[in-house]
Amino acid sequence: MSWLRPRRLWHPAPLKRHYEVVIIGGGIHGLATAYYLARTHGIRDVAVLESHYIGFGGSGRNTAIVRANQRTAENVRLYDEGLKLWAVLTDELDFNLMFFNCGTLNLGHSEAAMNGIRMLASTHNLLEVKSEVLDPQQCAEVIPGLDISDRPAFPIHGGLYHPPGGIVRHDAVVWGLAKGASAHGVHIHQGCEVRGIDTRDGRVTGVRTSQGAIGCKRLGIMAGGYGSAVAAMLGIELPIHPLTIQAMVTHPLKPFLHHVFSSGAYHVYANQTLKGEIATGAHMDPQVNYTTDATAYYLKHQAEALGELMPALRGVRFMRIWSGLADMTPDMAPIMEGELGYEGLYLDAGWGYFGFKSGPVAGKYMAEYMSTGQRPDILRAFQLKRFLEGRYSGETASVMKYGHWD
Amino acid sequence: MTGYAGDTVASALYGAGVRIFGRSLKYHRPRGLYSMEGESANTFMSIDGVPNECAETTELRAGMAVAPQNVHGDPRSDRFGFLSAFDRLMPAGFYYHLFHRPQFLWPVFQSGLRRMAGTGVLDPLREYGGGVRSERYLNADVAVVGGGSAGMAAALAAGESGLRVCLFERRDRLGGHLAWRVRELEGEPLYRRAEALAAQVQAAENVKVFTSSPAIGVWGENLVTGFTVGTEDDPFRECHWECRARTVVIAAGCMDRPLVFNHNDRPGVMQVGTAWRLARSYGVRPGKSVAFSVADDLGLEAAIDLDDLGVRVRFIADARESGQQGAAVFEALCDRAIPLFPGCAVSRAVGRKRVRGCVLRSLKGGRSRRFRCDLLVANAGMQPRIGTLATANARFEYCTHTHGYQPTDLPPGVFVAGSMTGLRDPRSIEASGRVAGYGAAERCGGRPGNVARAGNRVMGEGQSGSPGRGSVSPSRASRAVEAARQEAKALPGPPPGCGVIHAPAIGRGAKAFVDLDEDGTYKNVKESIARGLDVPELAKRFAGFGLGPGQYRVAGQNLAMIMADLRGDPVEKARATTVRPPLAAPSIATLAGPGHDVHKRTPLHAEQAARGAVFRRAGPWQRARHFGDDPSCRDEILSVRTNVGVLDSSPLGKFRIHGPDALQALQRVYISDMSKARPGYCKYSAMCNDMGQLMDDGVVVIEGRNDYYFTTSSARAGATVEWFRFHTRHDGWDYNLVNLTDVLGSLNIAGPNARRVLERLTGDNVSNEAFPYLACRRITVGDGVEARCLRLGFVGELSFELHAPASCVPYLWDLVMEAGADFGIRPFGLEAQNCLRAEKGHVIIGTESEQRVTLTDIGMGWMWDREDTVSKKVGAPALRACVGQTGRLKLVGLRVEEGAKAPLDGTLVVDGDKIVGYVCTTRSSETLGWQYGLALVHKEHAFPGRRIHLCHEETPGERVTSTAFVMSPHFYDPRGQRLRR
Amino acid sequence: MTFRLTCPVCGKRDVYEFTFGGQERGPRPEQEGLSAEEHFRWTQFRLIPNEPQEEWWYHGQGCGVWFKAKRDPGTNREMR
Repeated sequence: MSWLRPRRLWHPAPLKRHYEVVIIGGGIHGLATAYYLARTHGIRDVAVLESHYIGFGGSGRNTAIVRANQRTAENVRLYDEGLKLWAVLTDELDFNLMFFNCGTLNLGHSEAAMNGIRMLASTHNLLEVKSEVLDPQQCAEVIPGLDISDRPAFPIHGGLYHPPGGIVRHDAVVWGLAKGASAHGVHIHQGCEVRGIDTRDGRVTGVRTSQGAIGCKRLGIMAGGYGSAVAAMLGIELPIHPLTIQAMVTHPLKPFLHHVFSSGAYHVYANQTLKGEIATGAHMDPQVNYTTDATAYYLKHQAEALGELMPALRGVRFMRIWSGLADMTPDMAPIMEGELGYEGLYLDAGWGYFGFKSGPVAGKYMAEYMSTGQRPDILRAFQLKRFLEGRYSGETASVMKYGHWD
Repeated sequence: MTGYAGDTVASALYGAGVRIFGRSLKYHRPRGLYSMEGESANTFMSIDGVPNECAETTELRAGMAVAPQNVHGDPRSDRFGFLSAFDRLMPAGFYYHLFHRPQFLWPVFQSGLRRMAGTGVLDPLREYGGGVRSERYLNADVAVVGGGSAGMAAALAAGESGLRVCLFERRDRLGGHLAWRVRELEGEPLYRRAEALAAQVQAAENVKVFTSSPAIGVWGENLVTGFTVGTEDDPFRECHWECRARTVVIAAGCMDRPLVFNHNDRPGVMQVGTAWRLARSYGVRPGKSVAFSVADDLGLEAAIDLDDLGVRVRFIADARESGQQGAAVFEALCDRAIPLFPGCAVSRAVGRKRVRGCVLRSLKGGRSRRFRCDLLVANAGMQPRIGTLATANARFEYCTHTHGYQPTDLPPGVFVAGSMTGLRDPRSIEASGRVAGYGAAERCGGRPGNVARAGNRVMGEGQSGSPGRGSVSPSRASRAVEAARQEAKALPGPPPGCGVIHAPAIGRGAKAFVDLDEDGTYKNVKESIARGLDVPELAKRFAGFGLGPGQYRVAGQNLAMIMADLRGDPVEKARATTVRPPLAAPSIATLAGPGHDVHKRTPLHAEQAARGAVFRRAGPWQRARHFGDDPSCRDEILSVRTNVGVLDSSPLGKFRIHGPDALQALQRVYISDMSKARPGYCKYSAMCNDMGQLMDDGVVVIEGRNDYYFTTSSARAGATVEWFRFHTRHDGWDYNLVNLTDVLGSLNIAGPNARRVLERLTGDNVSNEAFPYLACRRITVGDGVEARCLRLGFVGELSFELHAPASCVPYLWDLVMEAGADFGIRPFGLEAQNCLRAEKGHVIIGTESEQRVTLTDIGMGWMWDREDTVSKKVGAPALRACVGQTGRLKLVGLRVEEGAKAPLDGTLVVDGDKIVGYVCTTRSSETLGWQYGLALVHKEHAFPGRRIHLCHEETPGERVTSTAFVMSPHFYDPRGQRLRR
Repeated sequence: MTFRLTCPVCGKRDVYEFTFGGQERGPRPEQEGLSAEEHFRWTQFRLIPNEPQEEWWYHGQGCGVWFKAKRDPGTNREMR
């Protein structure tokens, strides 16, 4: 009956002047890294510094969709392992992350899109990750109410159904990881804003924060959309553009949408939360941004798209819109790097809008990387240097126009 | 059920005796009419089958079907009502600690949780959102949000200068809370004053009034959006509007801050305004015997008025010890024998399905008294409606005088007025509106103090671009503003507010709600803190405060105050959660608007439709995919290969570039040496991006001195001007670039008989000698239409592309069809073109190219002028860097071996269990007699003669494999002889 | 946030009329002797502190001009 006796999920700790490892960012990536450092690698002298409250950034602002239907084998493997971690962590952390394994349906609106979907399905199944190509009729059987007629501007040609996907309660992941990390001795400091990074002789020596200087031997930048701004403190240029991405929910309804659906042509994804709201989003403005402001333009865009894809939704009302940051790389794959010109400095960034689904698995391998100093094999595809060699991951097929994310 | 004109569904239901409107989300507790503005989900109902319609704000119409939601059985005796008794088993965030062990049972629990959650029922197969949904885009100098006396005064003051003013009011009438107040001020009842102001506002020619028009939010730089609910006279059911204003006056008023006490959610507990409006606005008696637990003078006034209307007021508890304004109130209470208990509050509502009584206590503790009543009007004073200001990005601080959030800084051009600033005296409220209105007008360069002249409408900033217009000296303008300020200053300022955090004796086994929508209780706040989730933003997420349809409104300020109190912080440290738009929930149908697909049609749309074209979207265009009912396009393909066909290629990008630096610009963006273009001939080349990836291809033709005509792919036509200008933006070059894509149409006559058809249209010499491959000439066609004629070969056959003014192209089409009739000419569409070009090994950008491959990777490196470093060609350094790298993908041709099942577009190329590439396009070719494919394959496998394995698995377990030999992608006529005949 | 930009030709317009062209980083580097790393750094790598920056915008739904604007990515305000 432990749930009846409210106990602190994590414990306040005194701010020490020195830690073995300091992690900038109290989101899922930072907390997961700290958790695995302490639990798996025995490094317990770890501080997680969060400028606001844990989960303030993307971790608490995403729409909680998890899946492994990526485009290339390197990415599918990573996300597939990430997907399998939800159940493991729920048990390990003794905290219900509420993984709703409902499957995702990714709609195609042209013959070209269906060719892409066929390639995705084949890639997934070859790697033993389940995916299936559906025709429009099957799409409507999976999600009743999708308009598969010729009425929409971009009629539905079919879809990629991906049964292993689903949704996870995003806040629960933050709190669960904080609970787990704290239980293994990690210090979590909220309201501690990093304002500078100290180095000496090519080594990281610590950070300057709103609560004073803190020394460390190893430093992880895991600040989500703010990663670029933190890296800029050391003058490190990155192929990352922080963009504002918006999401919204409708009034709650009894369950009628039993899967996640998404559409590239309409820039939309939608799912029904455990509470019954339709959570939807996907579009972002292309200019570099650190604001988390929403726009009227986008509210309308989303309504137009949803109303076409699923006409029944025209009878629903939006009740909240918000936004967060997505740290976009040119190839939509992340950068997990320990060779940044300073010994002891590690970066986990550039996840774009895939940062939630990858959180725990990224933390697992970043912890391994930071504790051993050896890059794990699975992270070889996510080095920074690929951008300096003109080798892109192929995680998206589309090419950039001007070099920045567009 | 019946109602009166002007009734809402809620007032009509209440009038008909309905007290329980629905059941709460988590505990299924009975819920009644608490507010009148949709501040909670209490009265969400299904109206005409549409879920989650708010009875409080929905106007009653004849024939409506109204049904309760989230109810199992009757709302009066809900089957899940017992859940309330189990609340000790469901503390805040209980689900995080439950149901996950054993893990295999979680999906079962989860499904149960899902079914319990949500409220309204939506039928996914039904279409909702009927009626006309229109949209309006307004420009205003001053937008006023809120049509109470402050908002109206602001609109009138701003309107004096002749500025364009838009006033938005959420209710169906103007007047704010004055509309139902009978108290006299200066010999006139307040509602009369409201009516007088409303009449003036309605009469002002340059003030446009929008009632039933709640704002959704104020977005960047004073973009106010919202929607109007139409009356029967309006041509729309609902209308979404966006108003780009130069300034905004926000006079959103106040709402009750709920008093948090035990069982404060019982039906019969309501806001001051709810009881008052039921009686005064809707003529419905809210109850027989009422207890008041309030904390400001408005509450006292309401009590006296209700008593006068025949509702017996048992007592008034005033959470304030003192501070009641004026002796008149005490006299009035004495006259009516209404007991007043200062420093007291109701601590408990008695009764389950409706209020039957209440318990009164002093805030300092001590003994309690029990009273009988059937209505309990309770609040902790008023709180400002900060939502509109918050969406405009204002910052707030807790004000210890008014005990509400007040803005610390206002965004540029935003003004605040009325009771939300803490003012309570009606004269002060109106004066504050005037000050704000003048301030806004002044900022717009208006002439405050001057009476508007009819017809002197000032255009918005977007049109005129000149702020500070008008010839009136600023000093004169400022004098009027100053006078208004002085007037406001002389009037009473904000009285002290009430900082009571909650009622005495809270908890003790009873529920005291902070949030009604998700049943968030006082105890849940404590539990959140105990878990370490001790800031409002975290508690909000953990226990669900302000996440339901009411959002910030009911829970926001109380959560912050309670949290500060429980943490031992002073109340001014209370940091409220962020208020998020939409402030009023718009339906998706209304936001989406009338909805029409915007696309472009080629000049030959009708001609193609008449011949059975099946159209598909291609970028902005509707294009013919194929003709007739054969999607494989067999006959269209054969007709081009063996006879002659015609394609509408009008979406092709067509441009003219001229000027002294035109060539430099071409050298910059094209990868080839464009100085080698020859007059009268097409120079084929490509554009790359800075990563060396293929962006576009097309031909360039010299038209004259420093004058070129060039084509781009259809997909890039819209971005080409941008592209040229971007890549030359630092150079200051002198050239002009004109997009002729829509001005010129084009059609492509292709096939061995193409010349014979063309010869019938023109007297010009189009023989192979006079008009060789890649030539570009102007020819005269038919009755004197001059057309550019380009001899190209994308489909691999002799072909002539005619570019002519869009208006002439249908005429050319008719000529071609007529001339070709003897040959049996057929139109062909995009799919036939796709197959024809693929057989020829010509790439389509985005089909055979992607981000992993450069120009050289897809076999087009021959175009690249490797020597040129002077032009700073876009993409050249990247190509240089990537040439010779190992591990890259390369474009190859495939000859598929005959087998049981053929590969498809998107099929993988595999080496064992390793993916080494994929098939971009593959077709079984009648021309070749075998199946070919274009594929991107790892360099290690990309050499002719290599046997490779293909596989696709569209359904798990149903793997289809085949094999193919790598070869040159130029399958058909590899030496290009057919093009040159 | 729905902010506005000042087009040098058309005046203040809604941001959705424009295309974002990235940070100003000077003219294209000389290609003679340019290393691959230098090139790829120049095209893709950026320093993006949360501070006002000079950037390029294209008025695509207006006059078709590229122009420089200074904007604060932390507030979306145009600095003039």
